[in-house]
Amino acid sequence: MEINDRNIKLMSTIGPRAAFGLGVTDLAKTNKELIVVTCDVSTSAGLDRFRKTYPDQLIDLGIAEQNMIGVAAGISRENFNVITTTFAPFQTTRCCEQIKVNLGYMKEKITMVGLASGLVLGNLGFTHCCIEDVGILRSIPNISIISPSDSLETVKAVEQALKYHQSCYIRITGGSNNPILNHTDYSFEIGKSITLKKGKDVSIISCGSILNECLEAAEELEKKNISTEVVNMHTIKPLDENKILSILENSKLLVSVEEHNIIGGLGTAIAELISSSKQKKPLLRLGVNDKYSKSGSYNYLKNFYGLSTNKIIDNILKFLND
Amino acid sequence: MTQNEKIVTELEEFSKKIRIKILEMALTAGSSSSHFGGALSIVEIVSVLFNYKMNLKKKDDNQWQHRDRFILSKGHACLAYYAALNLKGFISDQQLKSFEKDDSDLAGHPVKNLDLGIDFSNGSLGMGLSLGVGLSIASKLRKIKNKIYVILGDGECNEGSIWEAALSAPKFNLDNLSVIIDRNNFQQTGSNKQILDLGNLNEKWKSFGWETQELNGHSLNEIKNYFDEQKDNHKPKMLIANTIKGKGFSFSENNNDWHHSIMTNKIYEEALKEIES
Amino acid sequence: MTNIDKYKNSFLESLSIEKDVLNDDLKYNDIPEWDSIGHMTLMSSLEDVFQITLETDDIVDFSSYKKGLEILKKYNLSF
Repeated sequence: MEINDRNIKLMSTIGPRAAFGLGVTDLAKTNKELIVVTCDVSTSAGLDRFRKTYPDQLIDLGIAEQNMIGVAAGISRENFNVITTTFAPFQTTRCCEQIKVNLGYMKEKITMVGLASGLVLGNLGFTHCCIEDVGILRSIPNISIISPSDSLETVKAVEQALKYHQSCYIRITGGSNNPILNHTDYSFEIGKSITLKKGKDVSIISCGSILNECLEAAEELEKKNISTEVVNMHTIKPLDENKILSILENSKLLVSVEEHNIIGGLGTAIAELISSSKQKKPLLRLGVNDKYSKSGSYNYLKNFYGLSTNKIIDNILKFLND
Repeated sequence: MTQNEKIVTELEEFSKKIRIKILEMALTAGSSSSHFGGALSIVEIVSVLFNYKMNLKKKDDNQWQHRDRFILSKGHACLAYYAALNLKGFISDQQLKSFEKDDSDLAGHPVKNLDLGIDFSNGSLGMGLSLGVGLSIASKLRKIKNKIYVILGDGECNEGSIWEAALSAPKFNLDNLSVIIDRNNFQQTGSNKQILDLGNLNEKWKSFGWETQELNGHSLNEIKNYFDEQKDNHKPKMLIANTIKGKGFSFSENNNDWHHSIMTNKIYEEALKEIES
Repeated sequence: MTNIDKYKNSFLESLSIEKDVLNDDLKYNDIPEWDSIGHMTLMSSLEDVFQITLETDDIVDFSSYKKGLEILKKYNLSF
């Protein structure tokens, strides 16, 4: 699939889940060893076309996620390139033990894709939201964790994850009409952050579709003469340590923003890294404050948890003025 | 002696040797204890598989990819597994002595080590069958004519993940998947009936679409014939092997204290006398 | 190019179909190429070609070649 303006716009319109499906269908054209294992979510993953075009390469196990991981591990052991996918909570917390044993301990290589992570399905209630996946998977060795910023990055992340030396978990955030953060083709490398906006007073380090709100917030802060950097830290494990340490050196305030619990996710990972540095700078962690809220739309929940553009601005200003 | 009788006699010898090795390893484990009872109940199954049925290959063999696969899903029964691997030349006598010692490759549950012929890490119950399903699917995709053998514990069938895998295998016509349940009627803290009654396992698996059979899990003849008669008929295979936990020694047979217990020198000496007489 | 030619071209390009497959009676899901992904590709193309932004309701209602023409007329397009 050519990465041009029209396709970037298409992928944004259809949203990152459907873009994932499109991307995988495209990859299967030249990769006969690509197998997708899923749990009755082919339509939600944009895999309908994949299912019809490559029926032998889609293994649907029904609503049985623990089985999905074990079966995927067995297939991967025979040197197939395996992707598993279902909704983020079922892809991760539901089958966590299987992930630990098969991917972490036995090091079977699988690319796991968690659909609709974060808060996007908030109107369905918290059983269909996921604010724990990064925190839990970070504790399992041998698994990289990626949170793509937009639909194009989702497709690129999957492509790179399939080539990577170990298993990856890719958490997809955002929905249809997903804001475009990458307007042209670019080089995506697992573990290498991307600076979306330069600045020297405040550094916002974020990942996933919430980067859109971060960029908007940064623009507003600039108007108040607060020079604000925005970094796309798409890979949470392994963190781009060099970039964070350089931020620690040069910036006055670090701000982490994530569609995830502030316990265990990107903010915590950054805090872990900088805690042993002799250089001391404050880190403001923005995200879900360890509470399950009532259900609501994506925008409602982002606002509730201080992740809307205005709330991000307010939180940063409040911290700076305290 | 007929050919069949000759084979069964060899298997009896092999089974006896496995039991002696299990005894030795249990003594080596010392105060760490070992899962003695659950290893003894699968000795005959393991004998037939490792010394008769399975196509075993060392890692440097150019037909290694075509080997049969073995998954000890009830990983705590590894004493029998390690003993068989030792007798077939995958694990050395020296390595066997390191069982459950610091930095050993032979832990209380199998840890993946392809050089030692240990294909998978097991121990967290309920996972081996899914792995088996995946391997069987992969073999079908690759058109490799091998077999995948999985041993499950009966207590292990409490785990929901077993039934997820059980539902899925018939969907893919996995006649290359052969699963054996070690029906010794006990689990960690009591009998299956006391903890969680499994009911009629044979009927349950049949209703899921498996080809099922039940036999005496200590009859080498019955087990050998069963594996000889397996057919490629689009159905995954389930063997319910009725066994005795702790089989082979008078002190351990049907004694659930020996699920996980310490082997003392005294018991070891008596047990050795018993088996060698 | 006339509007009707642009319209037809969008179908041909977005759905990757030949001229002989395209006819006035073509409906969503009639052919494998016009599935949900094909549909969004078509919508994107029409927005580009006619420089309009389709409303969500219109995207959902756009169930056939004929219906599409009706819908686009709302956007001040004549065919």
